[in-house]
Amino acid sequence: MTLPHLSLVTGKGGTGKSTVAAALALVLANHGETVLADLDQRGTAARLLGVDLDTRGHCSVAANLDVRSFSPRAELEAFIERIVPIKIISRRMLRSHTFGYVTAALPGLEAFLMLERLRQLADEAANRNGFVVIDGPATGTVLELLSVSPGVRDLAPSGTLNRLARSVDEFLQSPSRFGVLLTARPERLAVREALDALGTLRDQLMIGSAMAILNGVPEQLLSQSDYAKIHGLGDHRRLALQRKATCELAARAQGQFDRAGVEVIELPMLYTPEFARPQLEILASVLESFQKEQAEKGVNPHSR
Amino acid sequence: MSEVLDLAGKRLVICLGPGGVGKTTIGAAVALEAAVSGRAVDVMTIDPAPRLLDTLGLQIGPATPQEVPLTSLKARSGGRLRALRLDPKRMFDRLIERYAPSPAAREAILGDRIYRGLSNALAGVADYMAGELLLELHLEGAADLIVLDTPPASEAIDFLDAPRRMLELLSSRALGLLGASRDLARKPLGIFDFAARAVLAAFDRLSGVHLLPDVQAFVRRLEGMYAGFAERASQVQTLIREPTSVLILVATAEPQRVEQTREFVSSLDRLGLRPGGLIINRVMPPLPGFDEIQRTRLPAPLKHKLQRNLADFSALKARESAWLQTLKELTPDGVPMLVAEDLGSEPNTLRDLVRIARSLRAAG
Repeated sequence: MTLPHLSLVTGKGGTGKSTVAAALALVLANHGETVLADLDQRGTAARLLGVDLDTRGHCSVAANLDVRSFSPRAELEAFIERIVPIKIISRRMLRSHTFGYVTAALPGLEAFLMLERLRQLADEAANRNGFVVIDGPATGTVLELLSVSPGVRDLAPSGTLNRLARSVDEFLQSPSRFGVLLTARPERLAVREALDALGTLRDQLMIGSAMAILNGVPEQLLSQSDYAKIHGLGDHRRLALQRKATCELAARAQGQFDRAGVEVIELPMLYTPEFARPQLEILASVLESFQKEQAEKGVNPHSR
Repeated sequence: MSEVLDLAGKRLVICLGPGGVGKTTIGAAVALEAAVSGRAVDVMTIDPAPRLLDTLGLQIGPATPQEVPLTSLKARSGGRLRALRLDPKRMFDRLIERYAPSPAAREAILGDRIYRGLSNALAGVADYMAGELLLELHLEGAADLIVLDTPPASEAIDFLDAPRRMLELLSSRALGLLGASRDLARKPLGIFDFAARAVLAAFDRLSGVHLLPDVQAFVRRLEGMYAGFAERASQVQTLIREPTSVLILVATAEPQRVEQTREFVSSLDRLGLRPGGLIINRVMPPLPGFDEIQRTRLPAPLKHKLQRNLADFSALKARESAWLQTLKELTPDGVPMLVAEDLGSEPNTLRDLVRIARSLRAAG
């Protein structure tokens, strides 16, 4: 397998982040123990897989696939509990307004501890030859999250946090351990935002591996000459043209990603009355065949 | 016209909703339409991505109101539109400038390490500052309608809740603990405050941040400004709840968006707020029938392709109908609802936005 041990899926709202994350987790579970994790505790990806998270935010989907939920707040609490080992005091602390103010005065600490957590997850996955897929928040939030480490190094010129910050940087820049998958739909704004974000990831954050997933690409049905023949067919023509426009936007996006030197996987638009596990399996099989192709070529699809 | 969009007598519209539902576009369309019909409108986005300005044909620029040229749209007299984007950092600086007791105090704060970190950390601060900007526009009184776009998902609730949290912070013991004047501390320091101090000290030692003295200095520097902050926060809170203010929830009939909308509805309820309307955006228009294809004299292969295309879209329509039903069920009783059809393309020009606004009106 050539995908990094931890893949973070992000994208504009409505571009199918959870769908892609769940499908990717299904693929990776065929190759090693896989954890699918979300950072918002909504359990969206879990629901797509047909399961519900328990109160601790855990759930097992299959022998090789677990779903979990992480929250920055919980990571912060764990950190404070490490520093203040007397439980009764640390718990009261965590409930007090004072504590809220202290964390407000430590900008980025929550986000940073979250990144540190991702680093640990990736290391654990590497040790058991497995994978982690993160169903991440929207692009803007992820870019903020990933850029928090320099600020922390600035704040803590030495000591534990500084050491953590350096190991987090190293992790984010290692293509075998960390990669970002950016989802987009064949829409102008979504594609442009994805391109901008990929630029930031590569040029400013030095993320070694980032690729795009173009989600919902329709199969082209009519040929160019067909359109001339259906002039009198009002609404049917409108539907056909709508599909055509989406196909063209997808082709255009593909070109833009190519020119930007970004690897892109196209996932088909599935015209089904519902979207559940079987549809997820279809998308997973598309990802799987892409994965095989890359493995045969012997390249890490994330790094170019 | 739908009750949702009856903005006569309204002075503030806040668009809430999950990411990717077209909130920004709807906000811009509503603002533009109101401007064209003769009102003086300010539209403001607190989404860091400058999408709204983009749609309005404005370049990414300084966070000052920019006039949107309406000349090509035959706006009624008095109608004008200004668009602006929130820059939380700049807004925070402005707040400090307003309330700093002296120029020296102002400089000390603006150069403070903790302050710089705090004002750069977007979460929380952005929400509070959005309220500030909103209040500033409101008090300026230049616009008779303000339309506010909000960041996606839970953050939008954060925005509505930000003034309350700020008030809570200002009345808490945190400030006393961290070194502000003792008269601000409502209660004497207790065991847990000492514990908090111990945590900070331990944190300093272990983390290498050396934060405690800085935080204490920062809090001392902010002294004398709390009353001003608290006053502004409570004004924002009041403004959001005015009868002339309306919260519009925007959603789409997609699974994740429906779940998030459910969360929005219950969070609003917790805050004692009631949506003034729900716009279900980008709903597929009605589909034509199969018989129309059958009746034509097209070659059979082409007929098959058209039938296949229609079947595909019908499947999506069925998927959508189920979610539409769920959305209707989760909407609180008596909240007017508007189903807005998908117009098939993203708005690229002001005219597109006006068209969207008109179709929204027609939908009601």
